[in-house]
Amino acid sequence: MERGKKKVKPKDIILFAVTVALAFLFIYPVFFALFSAFKSNGDILKAPAALPGSLYLQNFKDLFEQSDFLGAIRNSVILTVVSEILIIFIVPMAAYGIERRKGRMTSLIYTYFLAGMMIPFHLYMFPLFKEMKLFHLFGNMAGPIVIAVSGAVPFGCLLYCSFLKGIPLEIEEAAMIDGCTPFQTFWKVTFPLLGPCTGSMVILNGLSIWNDYLMPYLVLPSGKPKTITVEIASFVGQYTARWDIVFAGTVISIVPALVIFCAFQKYFVKGITAGAAKG
Amino acid sequence: MTKKKGKIDKTAMLFIGPAFILFTVFVVVPTISSFYYSLTSWDGVSPKVTFIGLANYKEIFTSARFGNALKNTFILTVFISIFENAFALGLALMVDHVRWGKNVFRSAFYIPVLISGIVSGFIWKIMYNYNFGTFNSLLQGAGLGEYKQDWLGNTALTLLMIGIVMVWKGAGYYMIIYLASLQSVSPELIEAAEIDGASAWQRFKSITIPLISGAFTINLTLSLIKGLKVFDEINVMTDGGPGFTSETLVYLLYKVGFNEGRQGFGTAVGVMLLFIIIILNAVQQKFLKSREVQM
Repeated sequence: MERGKKKVKPKDIILFAVTVALAFLFIYPVFFALFSAFKSNGDILKAPAALPGSLYLQNFKDLFEQSDFLGAIRNSVILTVVSEILIIFIVPMAAYGIERRKGRMTSLIYTYFLAGMMIPFHLYMFPLFKEMKLFHLFGNMAGPIVIAVSGAVPFGCLLYCSFLKGIPLEIEEAAMIDGCTPFQTFWKVTFPLLGPCTGSMVILNGLSIWNDYLMPYLVLPSGKPKTITVEIASFVGQYTARWDIVFAGTVISIVPALVIFCAFQKYFVKGITAGAAKG
Repeated sequence: MTKKKGKIDKTAMLFIGPAFILFTVFVVVPTISSFYYSLTSWDGVSPKVTFIGLANYKEIFTSARFGNALKNTFILTVFISIFENAFALGLALMVDHVRWGKNVFRSAFYIPVLISGIVSGFIWKIMYNYNFGTFNSLLQGAGLGEYKQDWLGNTALTLLMIGIVMVWKGAGYYMIIYLASLQSVSPELIEAAEIDGASAWQRFKSITIPLISGAFTINLTLSLIKGLKVFDEINVMTDGGPGFTSETLVYLLYKVGFNEGRQGFGTAVGVMLLFIIIILNAVQQKFLKSREVQM
């Protein structure tokens, strides 16, 4: 490209400076939370903008002593990981069935799934909880997992169906001729080719399940730790004078998302743009 | 899949089955039954569900509380959609044109998207705090102490302040979509226009805008629907208050359902929300179609 050789113009420097300033404004609240987690409550109140002087870990000690935050972390991890595994097992198969067996029936099912994207969770949550009690899925980890997986079907089908269109049929036909069952063909031949799509699915769904509040708050039993997000929300009301503890909790919620984002950036971008192009 | 007819359908059914059953049982069935519950005075706890016809809907159209929630939802949604899109497009243009560190900036603007609504609500609640918050400290430091505010407690500002958090948290997401469509504009096209003597504004107006209009329609719809469903931030920052100042439709639904034991009425509010979303979607589809014809 020629661009790299062009002379630096004042315009470039101004734009760069403005972008840096805006980027700082966007990241500041996140840094503010990260710093505050390592400061005593007094320091947060006295000098909210100052960097922490030393690696102060008392907030995390207090957090784990005063609440069962470890239990909340465990629940968040179980909910996110198990839901993801089930989603990656169930959703691509459904998309494959729809996409490779074009017909009136399957296109009807596709529309049926897609219509689900419009339904707000808040609309059906009350009847859903009544139903969960009926199935004995209320008050245990299975409940939120089932709800998270069901809720992921519409967007997942959209994403997988649009990716499947780009996968040539010839490879599958060759596998069939070699004696593979449709099941084997899908899992051994097609699914590995869907890697980038699966990456996007895992990351976008994982983030929304990890960050979800209302659903786990309502479905998990009270009196026991729920998920990280739910615990933080309850701290906000409970420890109005102990921001340090709440900040320690927010760091535990943010850091995994940040690390995964840094490691798998391209999947975020791909997932969002593919979803938008079809949505 | 093989070409024998009977076998094919069975295989397809096996593939689609699990997702179909889960989606039907845990999304569609409760949605359909919510239409029924919206016609009852169900309290959410007792097994007794009394059918009361359209009384809940009658209350919706006559009660001041619903009107207030509808107004708040409208203000918040419009604010969020306008500013999220304006910021997202601005950021996308900046990231696209900046000379150094494109990827770093793209990530920086996206980072707020990663943070849960509860956590961002908490962080901003502290920054808005009257005594120790960032905003008042900054004003004090700049000698503008008289402009210090109880940002969330001042009823004229509450919704706006929640909207700002949403814009901060959401702009990066839409930026990615704008950026993708900006990068699909071929540089040759812009260079040709440049050679023909088109000014920067003319090039933006005649080349860039028409090409990103598809992204605009999608982003607008997504941000409108998201604006209608804001919940977590309101929950942490104001709990719908002060008074009913920040009570939106979703928040009203939650409060009457769980705090006031009126899940029948809450569900009716939810049905209204669904209708609003369906109408928005229909409008978007229409716009999208007419745009495609243009292009």
